[in-house]
Amino acid sequence: MLEWILSALIVIGAFFTLVGSIGLYKLPDFFMRLHGPTKATTLGVGAILTASVLYFSFKTDDISLHEVLITVFLFITAPISAHLMAKAALHIKLKRVGRTREPADH
Amino acid sequence: MTLLSFNIPVVVLLPFVGAIAAAWVSRYSRLASAWAATIITLLAMAFLAPAAGLPFQGETLIQSWSWIPGIGLTFSFRLDGLALLFALLILAIGLLVIGYARYYLSPKDCMGRFFAYLLMFMGSMLGVVLSENLIQLVVFWELTSLTSFLLISYWRHRQDARLGARMALAITGAGGLALLAGVMLLGHVVGSYNLTDVLAAGDRVRASELYLPVLVLILIGVFTKSAQFPFHFWLPHAMAAPTPVSAYLHSATMVKAGIFLLARFFPVLSGTPEWSWIVSSAGLITLVIGAYIALFQHDLKGLLAYSTISHLGLITLLFGFGTQLAAVAAIFHIINHATFKASLFMVAGIIDHETGTRDMRRINGLFSYMPHTAVLAMIAAAAMAGVPLLNGFLSKEMFFQQTITASQVSGWAWAIPALVLIAAIFSVAYSLRFIHDVFFNGKPVDLPKTPHEPPRFMKIPVDLLVIICLAVGIIPMFTVAPVLHVAVAGTLQASPPEYSLAIWHGINLPLIMSILALAGGALVYTARKRLFAWHDASVARWDARIVFNAILGSLDRFAVGVTRVFDKGSLQNAAVWVIVTALTAGFIGWMGISAPLLGARELLPVDGVSLAVLAVMMAASLMTAVLHRRRLVSLLMLGVVGLVVSLVFVKFSAPDLALTQLSVEVVTVVLLLLALYFLPQSTPRERDKVRIGRDIAISVLAGAGVAVLTMGVLTRELTPISDYFLLNAVPGGGGTNVVNVILVDFRGTDTLGEIVVLALAGLGIYAMLRGMKLPAPDRDSQGRLWSSDNHPEIMRTHTRLLFPLMLMIAVYIFLRGHNLPGGGFIAGLIAAVALIVQYLANGIAWTSKRLRFDMHWVIGLGLLAATATGLVAMGLGYPFLTSTFTYLDWPVVGKFEVASAIAFDLGVFLVVVGATVLSLVELGKLSDSSHKAEQQKRRTEVR
Repeated sequence: MLEWILSALIVIGAFFTLVGSIGLYKLPDFFMRLHGPTKATTLGVGAILTASVLYFSFKTDDISLHEVLITVFLFITAPISAHLMAKAALHIKLKRVGRTREPADH
Repeated sequence: MTLLSFNIPVVVLLPFVGAIAAAWVSRYSRLASAWAATIITLLAMAFLAPAAGLPFQGETLIQSWSWIPGIGLTFSFRLDGLALLFALLILAIGLLVIGYARYYLSPKDCMGRFFAYLLMFMGSMLGVVLSENLIQLVVFWELTSLTSFLLISYWRHRQDARLGARMALAITGAGGLALLAGVMLLGHVVGSYNLTDVLAAGDRVRASELYLPVLVLILIGVFTKSAQFPFHFWLPHAMAAPTPVSAYLHSATMVKAGIFLLARFFPVLSGTPEWSWIVSSAGLITLVIGAYIALFQHDLKGLLAYSTISHLGLITLLFGFGTQLAAVAAIFHIINHATFKASLFMVAGIIDHETGTRDMRRINGLFSYMPHTAVLAMIAAAAMAGVPLLNGFLSKEMFFQQTITASQVSGWAWAIPALVLIAAIFSVAYSLRFIHDVFFNGKPVDLPKTPHEPPRFMKIPVDLLVIICLAVGIIPMFTVAPVLHVAVAGTLQASPPEYSLAIWHGINLPLIMSILALAGGALVYTARKRLFAWHDASVARWDARIVFNAILGSLDRFAVGVTRVFDKGSLQNAAVWVIVTALTAGFIGWMGISAPLLGARELLPVDGVSLAVLAVMMAASLMTAVLHRRRLVSLLMLGVVGLVVSLVFVKFSAPDLALTQLSVEVVTVVLLLLALYFLPQSTPRERDKVRIGRDIAISVLAGAGVAVLTMGVLTRELTPISDYFLLNAVPGGGGTNVVNVILVDFRGTDTLGEIVVLALAGLGIYAMLRGMKLPAPDRDSQGRLWSSDNHPEIMRTHTRLLFPLMLMIAVYIFLRGHNLPGGGFIAGLIAAVALIVQYLANGIAWTSKRLRFDMHWVIGLGLLAATATGLVAMGLGYPFLTSTFTYLDWPVVGKFEVASAIAFDLGVFLVVVGATVLSLVELGKLSDSSHKAEQQKRRTEVR
């Protein structure tokens, strides 16, 4: 049973990471590409970390909680970097494809 | 343990500790530091007192501790008659000078700094005279040069003070080096650096073929310190010092250090023709030149300075005669000169203080304004001239007697008393000038202030000194005789010869010389106007300073020339020198060995993942170089290289290194980003094909060389020292993380040294960047202005959330360091990153307001914690930094191990945090202020 759950979590994680990477490569402009690593990777890494928590908690005597901290760090830092990159991109007026809308206050 | 087993080092070291106290208490009250200095001096006297009786019983007290016995270094002190005399002079005159300086210094002068320097000087001087070990003596000797530099340049806003101090340091410092060489040679000849052994080995030293080099080197030290010809010229320039300093250093103590050394080595080095020739001719020339020039000085202190030079020459000449009686006269004159010259300097200071000038052409007729001071000055000056019933007369008589004895040596030696008589005539003349010009001779000319008597307590030191002059001069047998007796015994290391201290010896040749000198001096003084005119027209243009400056200038130019060859102010150029030198040296070394390049060890198998990761690293490092004109991208590539390196560390089981690399990487990138801000916006393209080719060739060669070297090491089976550490980490240091145990335990002293360097680097960066302003660009290379949103709200809020989490990680890494990857260094870097993130996200002003502690204190506390850990071990009788550990059982946490090394590691942690944050924040402030200045400019331009 545990093995199934772990496998599922790892596959989900790997899938989202892959999707994020493909997005980073394929999407047409910077603002779209930003979604790839920030959104999908957060979820992907999150799933893998959950798998790690479960595995080490069941395999050893102690409850493994380091990964929770890693998740917390990721959840706090990922939005900051995304925000800063977007701000920078707006500031230097990067090219956009037509579908990317102008932000409201610009 | 009685007081007599350790009191001498206490006497020597007390003033150094007291210097800190004196500097510290001046924050609370101006006069407190004067009181502190007084108390410290009295305490030093009190510690010396119990031992002071021993030399009178013919004993020599030696207190010794082993330091580095392998190279003959002991920490040892010696008290015999000579040392006692000098220690008493230093402490007693020091006490008087402290009392005098308290009134002399104006409210603008920093009292704490003055008294701290003065006490440090006093301690150094006591160290010189009380040392038993010769190397230790030279160390204190150097300290007197350094502290006198600080004292001469005390008024650091004045250029003449700075130049005078630099000249004194250059001359006496060079002499100190010569002395060190001489002492090393002497120790080599004798086989010991202990004075007791050296003093007993006089015959062996004089017979040695190294005798002449030893003598010349030591004499260079002596002559530079005691301002003997041809090194005499620094002393008048050192008169830019405050007058208490001149009274103390340049008459009573420091210039006597050279004389002290002559006396100290008298039993070892004297008694040869070389000694007589060198010492007595230097002394004689100095005596005559000093006395002659002193008469023509218009500056009150200049007159006293040259007179001091002349009297030092007199003492040197006496030692040069090499007889026992001459040594008696020399020691006697040391005492007398110290008393009358110190009081004269103090009088000069009073006059300067009260009139605002030291020019004798303007200071006239002061007798009616300050009769008390005038009487004191007249008595002291009369002692200087050698008037009967004063102490100067007695020692001068003895001196004349010795010159007459010396004149019988050879046909030409009659010149000695003749020249001495001329010097004595001039000595009387300048003493007369000091009295008559200053206190009589009409009315004062255009004085800045109306003079009146100084405060009563400013005169008391002078009163006391003048009373000593009189007491010694009138009743020598009851005052100076015992001290002189033990001092002579200490000098000769034998019982003193027969001599008489009587005032009246009947009419003999010395008395006739004295009378001739007094009469001749009066004549010369009356003819002074014509002499001055002649002197100004002819001799006055000669100045040894011109020669000194020429030598110094050519040295400077030479040094600059050499530096220019290697350092053209370009990093590339400097790097080329280093790399090419390393390559050449490596290649030459490699040519010399015949072993195969690679060892016999089998290579490890390569797996795909590692290969891919390494390919990324190689590509990234290549991109760093190729993209160097796009700096930001290049910097990111450098970051990639760093991260991959830390992955490599993980793979090869070096988690500590990986963690360190990771945190260092973060700090480095922040540092480089801050620095990049100040570079020009675009890098010009390299066009010189030859140069590019050369650089590529050098890089490829260097890279290949390192690769080959690494392969050469890695493919060999070596027995590494790590086995020892792996075996002993748990039993010896109580930790399973061997890296950390090595850092804090096995190699703790190395680590201590490293954190000291780190602390100094941090403070150095702070000092260099503080208050600096650099022009910063206000737009990027495409001409876009920087964003005006310096600290985006989302980042501010979120990073505040991160702060406690990051600190928690730092604490965690720190605590587990002894057993698992981590430790003070890594934890310190993580904590520093946590703080820097706050500075970056929220701005320096916001963060500094909330982060109240000063990083200087953090660094200081860290060093203190690390050193204290080591000292505690020493206090318990173990070697420095020995670590101990025990196992504790806590209810919830379970059994865990506590090592004393954690206190040391805490010190490492604090220093790393302090130094990193201090330097990065200072750099950040620089860009912050430059940025603000740019924005300000822009705003005014818009208006």
